[in-house]
This record gives sequence, C-alpha cells and structure tokens, in this order.
Amino acid sequence: MEQAKTALAALFAHPAAPLIAQGVLSLIAIVALVAIARGLGLGGDVRIPDEDTARALADDAVCGFGATDIALDRARIGALARNAQGRVLLIRRHGAHFVARELTSYEGIRLDRHFLTISTPDRRFGAITLDLGPEAQAWAASLRRLGATA
Amino acid sequence: MKPASGLQPFDVVVYAIPFFILAIVLEMLWAAKRKPEAYEPADTWTSLALGLGSTVIGAAAAGLIYAAASWLYAHRVGTVPVVWWSWIACFVLDDLNYYWFHRSAHRVRWFWASHVNHHSSQHYNLSTALRQTWTGFPALSFAFRIWPAFVGFPPAMLITVGGINLVYQFWIHTEAVRRLPRWLEAVLNTPSHHRVHHATNPLYLDRNYAGVLIVWDRLFGTFQPEVDDQRIRYGIVRQLGTFALLHSAFHEWAAMLKDFATAPFRHKISYLLRPPGWSHDGTRDSSDTIRARWLEAPESAAE
Repeated sequence: MEQAKTALAALFAHPAAPLIAQGVLSLIAIVALVAIARGLGLGGDVRIPDEDTARALADDAVCGFGATDIALDRARIGALARNAQGRVLLIRRHGAHFVARELTSYEGIRLDRHFLTISTPDRRFGAITLDLGPEAQAWAASLRRLGATA
Repeated sequence: MKPASGLQPFDVVVYAIPFFILAIVLEMLWAAKRKPEAYEPADTWTSLALGLGSTVIGAAAAGLIYAAASWLYAHRVGTVPVVWWSWIACFVLDDLNYYWFHRSAHRVRWFWASHVNHHSSQHYNLSTALRQTWTGFPALSFAFRIWPAFVGFPPAMLITVGGINLVYQFWIHTEAVRRLPRWLEAVLNTPSHHRVHHATNPLYLDRNYAGVLIVWDRLFGTFQPEVDDQRIRYGIVRQLGTFALLHSAFHEWAAMLKDFATAPFRHKISYLLRPPGWSHDGTRDSSDTIRARWLEAPESAAE
C-alpha cells in the first residue's frame, strides 16, 4: 500500500503529469461524445431515393459528369452512373453521406445473377455488392468494355 | 527560462476545452431534433481523435516553436511595448498572417498535405473544428506566424493571440447558426462564411481563408458569400471514403511523396509546390480547372 502511494506521488510529481492527465481526460470525453452521438441516433440511414439524386451525387463527385444512365441498388445504398463519354462512376454510402470512384477497368468486378460485386483500385474504398435486379447482366456486359475503351 | 520580454505565454486553448465539449453536446442535441445527419458517430470519432493527436503533438512541438520565436526575438530589429494597443496590433497582424498561412495551405500542396485532414470530413459541425493536423510542425506552417517576433512582438504575445484566434474559429464550424447581423458578417468570419470555405461546390472552392476577420478575403479578392439556394457539399474534391484515422492523417503526404518519386525529374518539385490536383500531364483536376469547367457549363449560369 505504501509502495503504491509512493508510486502515485511520483507519477503526479512528474513534469509531464498535467499533459498526460489532459490527454486521458480528453480521450474519456471523446469516447463519451461518440457514445452520445450514437445514443441520440445521429447519422441516420441515408439512401438514394431516385435516379435524379444519383445524377446529382455523380455531379457532386465529378464536376460536370452528366450521367445519362443510372442503375440503382435495390436497397438504394449505392448506384452506378454512366455518362455520354462512357465513363462510369460507382457511388456508395459512406456514413451519412455518399462517396464515388470512377471505374476504369473490369478488374475487380464480379457478376452473380442479379448481384454485381465491385472493388476499385482504391483499397480503402472497399468492395460493394449492388443488387441491380435484371439490369445487372447488361451492366456487367457493358463494364467489360471499360478497359478496352480506356 | 524567463522570457526576454518578461511576458509569459497564456495557452487559452487548454481552458477552452471544457467549453468545446459542452458546445458539441449542445450541437448534438440540436442535430437530434433538427438534422440527425449533421453528425455521424464514426466521423465524430475520427475528427476528435485527430484533435487529440494534434494537441499531443502540438504540446511536444510548442517548445520548439517558442524557442524559434524567442531566437527571432533575441535578434529583433525593434521592440514593441507590452501595452493594450500592441495586443490589438499583434492580434490583427497574427490574423493577417493566418490568412496567408491558410491561403498557402490550400494553394501549395506541401502545406495542403498537412491541412487537408481538417477538410476531409463530409460533415460540418463543431467536431470538425477540432479535426486538426498532426503534421503542421514538420510542414513548417508555424513560420507564417512567428516572424513578427523579429520586428519586436514578444513571442508570448504571439502564442497568446494565436490561441485566441484558434478558439474563435471553433464556434464557426456549425450549421446551427445561419447568419449573424449584417455588420458582423461584414467584418468577422462567421459560420456562413466558413461553410463556404469547407464546401466543395465549384463556386466555393478555395474561398474565405480568413481566421477571425473576413476583411482579409474582401481585401485580397478571395471572398465568396454563401448563396442560399446552393446545396452545400462539404469535404474534399476526392472524398476519402473511409473513417480510418491514420489514413485521414497521412493520406495526402503519402500521395504527394508518391507523385514526387514517380514524376519526371523536371516536374518533381512542382508536385510539392503547385496547387493540389495539379499534374504535369494535365490529367487531374485542381480547384481552378473544376471552377473553369463549371463556369463553362450552361447550367452554372442559372445557379
């Protein structure tokens, strides 16, 4: 007990003690704030309600993209957008927002009946499986041409 | 060590932290009622962890920055007295220095690599304010702020007003405040002006660099008022798509150094000093090319 008291006294007497205490308290506060955000249900459950929204998201990602074809995932958590020049954007949900990456080759794309699983060269962007329904086959066929036209 | 000016630095940021926490809780309660998507817990974690890391690294670097300022002060060309008007003069000068630091942080990729993580959240809330860099010291950003020591401003005064500037900028990172009275919007950086700064809309890219006084943007031609019918998109031109902490802190350094390593020799330095998005073969988009393309589009005229 005496040893513990001595060790504690030495710890508090250390010149870096206030800084360490500030760091520990800040970390506790951060955990508490994230817990409050979760507890309040912040973030929500965002979806792409329609093709116009998907077009707007494509333009947000690439200024002037001008999508002409859109394929929406059935759960509305992602979409594919193609413009008149044949460029294709993959749009997916990221937290309470959406992010997009341009697809430049068929590599990393797999078709399984109505499901298209797409991973981009950006490893951190991750892979996403889109349920495109009957449209999946036609989109997969068109995406096979990506590498050739690039 | 007793400072040469006899003035001790006062770190106002440490005392502001409890108020930061309280304000974030209040904003979260506002968001729960009015705009739940204003916060995303994973994003909040990343922002606040970046803030904590920045505080720890900042504390370690503070002594070196203070020593550098003290060295400049020891070789000063004049002496500014510690009186009420010199505090005001120092604050205004520091805010002007902040403007140029901040403008450089968006227009020079070397500084952008350090500053980008403050902008990489797609959210705009009070936690975004604390999403601060870990690499400001090695990027030498402090050089913009300490030179007044050479003309005679005490280093402690510079550190103190710099802290006040930082604390002021906390509260403007919010969507909960729409507009302040017109006379304040004319002079001060406000939530409305700073929303523009964090937006990726082509109209808003690289605008409103001010810290406290928006007059610098008005003076140097970088001011853009918030347009009510424009839906603001926050973040960076190529959104991160991940909440990973280390990636958020270092991704642009990694990308820049990769470009530097692989670029043809005569273009290498340009990848460090030219604006973010610049490329020697013109295959990438910078703020300027995005804005130019947007201005050419017929629909932009209608916006």
